[in-house]
Amino acid sequence: MYSPSTRPQPTDLDSNSTPDASSGVAVSVAALQKSFGARRVLHDLDLTIRPGEFLAIVGHSGCGKSTLLRLLANLDPASSGSILLDGTPVARQQEDLRLMFQDARLLPWKSVWANVTLGLKGSRADLRRQALEALNSVGLAERADDWPGQLSGGQRQRVALARALIHKPRLLLLDEPLGALDALTRIEMQGLIERLWLRHGFTAVLVTHDVTEAVALADRVILIEDGAITLDQPVALARPRERGEPAFADLEQTVLNRVLRQDHQAAPVTPPAQPTRQQRGDASLSAAQWAAYPSL
Amino acid sequence: MMAFPRLSALARPLVPWLVPLLLLAVWQAATQSGFVSSRIAPAPSAVAASAYALLISGELLHHLWSSFQRASIGFLIGGGLGFALGLLSGSIRSFELLFDTTVQMIRNVPHLALIPLVILWFGIDETGKLFLVALGVLFPVYLNTFHGIRAVDKGLIEMGKSYGLGPIGIFTQVILPGALPSILVGVRFALGFTWLTLIVSETIAASSGIGYMAMNAREFFQTDVVVVAILLYALLGKVADLAARWLEQRLLRWNPAYA
Repeated sequence: MYSPSTRPQPTDLDSNSTPDASSGVAVSVAALQKSFGARRVLHDLDLTIRPGEFLAIVGHSGCGKSTLLRLLANLDPASSGSILLDGTPVARQQEDLRLMFQDARLLPWKSVWANVTLGLKGSRADLRRQALEALNSVGLAERADDWPGQLSGGQRQRVALARALIHKPRLLLLDEPLGALDALTRIEMQGLIERLWLRHGFTAVLVTHDVTEAVALADRVILIEDGAITLDQPVALARPRERGEPAFADLEQTVLNRVLRQDHQAAPVTPPAQPTRQQRGDASLSAAQWAAYPSL
Repeated sequence: MMAFPRLSALARPLVPWLVPLLLLAVWQAATQSGFVSSRIAPAPSAVAASAYALLISGELLHHLWSSFQRASIGFLIGGGLGFALGLLSGSIRSFELLFDTTVQMIRNVPHLALIPLVILWFGIDETGKLFLVALGVLFPVYLNTFHGIRAVDKGLIEMGKSYGLGPIGIFTQVILPGALPSILVGVRFALGFTWLTLIVSETIAASSGIGYMAMNAREFFQTDVVVVAILLYALLGKVADLAARWLEQRLLRWNPAYA
């Protein structure tokens, strides 16, 4: 599935070069549909993401936002429609994108630094040097030789972030990576992700349940309801953003109200055919996806 | 809280040996006083003396060596086959569908029940004993390899793929290390089966080995030699277990359960 990378191997994560449009990829999604059996998860979805833009996707469990991210990451095939990265189908642009999962998914039998260099080729000394640089950028260089089992949940996600960034992705996909962290660690991680995004200029797509997180980080927040985009809200706040500011709070409230409004209308919006399946939500959906994945 | 807090660090490792030593002392006293006939249970001193005599004559090492050879060759053949079959069944669905039922059926036949058949096939030759040992070892290794591979976190496999690992990389860096704890459990079970099979097959049909030594001694009422043979099995079992533990501690350093 993977062709050897034609891009030079990343070497310097900490370069202070100013981000330019070329470091982020343009994403263009057209008429995207995804069904699991008879259940349609995404209908005719269109979405354009500018190079270097930070997009947040919010929505209820089971609305299709994680499915959209898995399609963007080329983990699942679309039923129909297209996803283009800089005009090329996503299946041929794998090297440009990296995904951060909800759980860190570090290999417990590899040391922290070896996890960070997973999938990279080169001499051991060179890989280690690259890993230390990447770990340094997430503030974990001193844990390079530990096992993942010795780290806290937040530290594991920081290692996962370093592992994603060492590939110098032009598109970073974040699937609720902070969902399992405590509130303080989460705010620290949000700051870290924002700083690294500003420094490297990649395009970022963040799926989250947390409207505050979406407004704090994103240039634009979209809401997905029943497999379609129902809100497209630019966030024109200066960075770094203060969570207590009136403009921030106003915007957060606007999005939140829009997200919650669906609850009152849920019954008429839900297709009458199989309401119970509709309500089963994200968990059963991902179970179906796992079942569809053979072990090799 | 630490057990036996008042003992020094040097004395503490001796604690587990207190009970065996006490049992030995009771045994020696019981046989020396004539309370127990030496034909039923020889005195520990007599056992030690005959062990020494067997060692000097070279007989002990001769039998020990043939038993050890059978155990290790049989273990390598059976373990290797079980590992290979487990890998194939665990990784390839169609292989599992084709072979797993057969393997499970054969597994449920106690392999020692095949002894009469094995004697008919191979006589009392080496091949028969190797066959039995290999058969006894194959199934625990097969089962645990299979389940180890199936239990590998699918999320890690997906992550590996999305980070650019090819099929070989996925296998060597994700699936195999993920299955290793389970495989090593299989190896420990298999070591137990090795000695069990060896004892039985050597006492029934052999011309050398510790089991043969024990059966031969029985014919001449040399109870002390029989006890030496039993102790040797215990010792070899302990050595095998230590080897398995050493492997676990080396290969599973990352796992907090073994560190």
